[in-house]
Amino acid sequence: MDIQNTQSQMRKGVLEFCILSIIRQGEVYPSDIVDKMKSANLNILEGTLYPLLTRLKNSEYLTYRWVESNSGPPRKYFVMTPKGLAFYESLESTWKELTEAVHALTQTNEINTVKNI
Amino acid sequence: MKRVININFQGRVVPIEELAYDILKNYVESLRIYFSNEEGKEEIINDIESRIAELFAEVLKKGKSCITDEDVNNIIGSMGRPEDFEGEDPKVNAQFEQNYQQEKASSSNGHKRLYRDENNKVLGGVCGGIANYFNIDPLIIRILGIVTLSFTFLPYIILWVAVPSTATQVIGSTRKRLFRDMDEKIIGGVASGLSHYFGINVWIPRIIFLIPFLSFITNWSHWGLFGFPHFISLSFSPGAAVIYLVLWIILPEAVSSADKLEMKGERVDLNTIKNTIQSDMEGFKGRAEKFGADLKNRAEIFGKEFSNKSKINTTDYTIKTPKTGLAHVLLFLIKAFIYLIIAIVLFAIVISMFAIGIVFTSMFPLFNFFFTDGAEVILIWASILLFIWTPVVGITTWIVRRVSRTKSNSGIIRYILLSLWFLGIFCMIALGVLIRKDFRYRNNPIEDKITLTNPTISNLNVVINGYEKNKQINNWLKIEPFEDFNGDTAYVPNTDIQIFQSKTDSFEVSVLKLSNGETKEIANSLAQKINYTITQKDSTLSLYKGIPINTFDKFRNQRVVITISVPIGKRIRIDDVIGWKNHVHVGGDDNDWDWLHEYFSRKGMNWEPNTEYIMTADGLKEMYKTKNSSIDLNNESDEMKEKMEENSQNREELRQEIEEKQKEIEEKKRELQKELEKE
Repeated sequence: MDIQNTQSQMRKGVLEFCILSIIRQGEVYPSDIVDKMKSANLNILEGTLYPLLTRLKNSEYLTYRWVESNSGPPRKYFVMTPKGLAFYESLESTWKELTEAVHALTQTNEINTVKNI
Repeated sequence: MKRVININFQGRVVPIEELAYDILKNYVESLRIYFSNEEGKEEIINDIESRIAELFAEVLKKGKSCITDEDVNNIIGSMGRPEDFEGEDPKVNAQFEQNYQQEKASSSNGHKRLYRDENNKVLGGVCGGIANYFNIDPLIIRILGIVTLSFTFLPYIILWVAVPSTATQVIGSTRKRLFRDMDEKIIGGVASGLSHYFGINVWIPRIIFLIPFLSFITNWSHWGLFGFPHFISLSFSPGAAVIYLVLWIILPEAVSSADKLEMKGERVDLNTIKNTIQSDMEGFKGRAEKFGADLKNRAEIFGKEFSNKSKINTTDYTIKTPKTGLAHVLLFLIKAFIYLIIAIVLFAIVISMFAIGIVFTSMFPLFNFFFTDGAEVILIWASILLFIWTPVVGITTWIVRRVSRTKSNSGIIRYILLSLWFLGIFCMIALGVLIRKDFRYRNNPIEDKITLTNPTISNLNVVINGYEKNKQINNWLKIEPFEDFNGDTAYVPNTDIQIFQSKTDSFEVSVLKLSNGETKEIANSLAQKINYTITQKDSTLSLYKGIPINTFDKFRNQRVVITISVPIGKRIRIDDVIGWKNHVHVGGDDNDWDWLHEYFSRKGMNWEPNTEYIMTADGLKEMYKTKNSSIDLNNESDEMKEKMEENSQNREELRQEIEEKQKEIEEKKRELQKELEKE
């Protein structure tokens, strides 16, 4: 149980960042986001996504517009705001720092273990 | 074939199966609960619904005519269930779990149900669930449980198995509930519902309910062999019927398709129970250690606080905390105690009425001897069913309802049961009237003299015969007023023995036959028919154990009064037989057999069985007892000695008198001789 907890914590940390990076690339609607994440091998439930999007929108990092469709109800298309962009960039730098740190640490471990052999 | 309804979902008309709609509704409901604290929850829910509507549209576009439960479940799977949602604080999730379970529990039934708390468990979550239910700290429950472990051990196991855990509280999942299956019913669907719940073949519970009835029927004609096991099966048959009736009333019908789904849901069979218990056990050790550590910590803190309080003058705050805890526990204990008392009283009432019902029902074979066919038999059955069994059913139902907190369907059931019970009272009264009519008249008493073969014997031993060697078995059916019976004849020990002083110097025995009846003629003829056998062999008078009654003539208070006249100086002794002691009366007037009805005989005396009595001029006196009265014997011999001494004294006196008289005569003679010589 504990390992699952840690794993899900790790995921939660990066979810927002991933979603924002998808939206940054262009106007999307939620199920598109789910598909794109799936193709990148990061599965997310729609039920997780919607509240996240709403929160981001409420924090004014995103806006949306309604698009009518003939094969169903109208859809929300999300787009990043400038504020959102700034937010994204600060996340991006945090992510870079993190990845470098983790990389460095795990690399060192590998080198050490290789040495011991 | 399933019902399809049209719903207005997100501004569109969607045809959907009823069952699928229920699942959808539950899902949306759970979302609502999950997001209840979320800002912008309406929007989120709307978004999700909108997405679902889109997916519905796709499904319909593909050519399906309506949305099925399969579709809905798939969609829910891809959307995810609330507890799988990420991006939330773990605390929020836990909070959600609690809220969710509370809400679900109350929203689906309108009140709280007892569950086992998966989040708050040490062993099986039983104490946690109970704590949830009563809204108190689970720690208190746990401590109480451990303290009273000897009592609560077995109930704990039962609750662990039977009470559903909160882990089964997921949307649209197949939580299992006990329903009555109206589609597959024979009588009330109770057996079918039970079979679904336990996953067993429907005929198994049916047969279980029927077995006692079958044996009841086969026993119909074998009342002579009324041994112990038959008695038990007899007690089961009305018992099983009562249980069935109670379940029929309490369990709801599986009306909606959601109900039907829940009824047939997750298999609660031995395997799932085993798995649940296994997984519970696995975590137990860790959790128990944690619990123990927790307790220790709390105790330490408590102790510290207490010692602090005594050392330093602390504020009221620290004093308050331990006290409220204690008061809380105390209050809870008092409440529990009161509930326990009420429960015990009710339980006792139900059990005793149950027992009465069983006894009366088991007296069934004797009915033929007592009640005339037709109206009376119907009435007695109606009285038993309505007057005795109805309250049993009613009270049991009420108890089970209160314990399980199920909604009562309506007051209708209560009214029905109540009116049935009143009908039962009515029947009993009618029956009483009818019976009184049967017994109204008394016959003209018939007196028969029994000629004794040797009336001048010195003593008479009265014995009661007619008992078979295996009297023990028959003791099971010793129901007043019947003593014994075998097939068609019942024996009624409705006899009284009267002992008088004989006016002659021989023993006399006469038998007075009495009976009641609907009319005087019937009473007379019944009395004539009394076939009470008295036999005499030397100095033993044998009375039969009872008056034979057959099913044709029926019991109409046939009585015999045996009058034994004992001459003065002769002895009589009556054998020790259970119950006969009260039937022996001594003294009194000859025609006073009426007062024998009363408990206390006005002129009689205390009669002891196995005691030899001797008739003297003043009445019966005790001679000696056959068992352990050596004191008496000594007294007797003392008396004898006294008498002998008296006698010898008398003799002495007499002799002295004679001697004196002789002396006088001698003197007189001498004087006379002297006179003669002088002349």
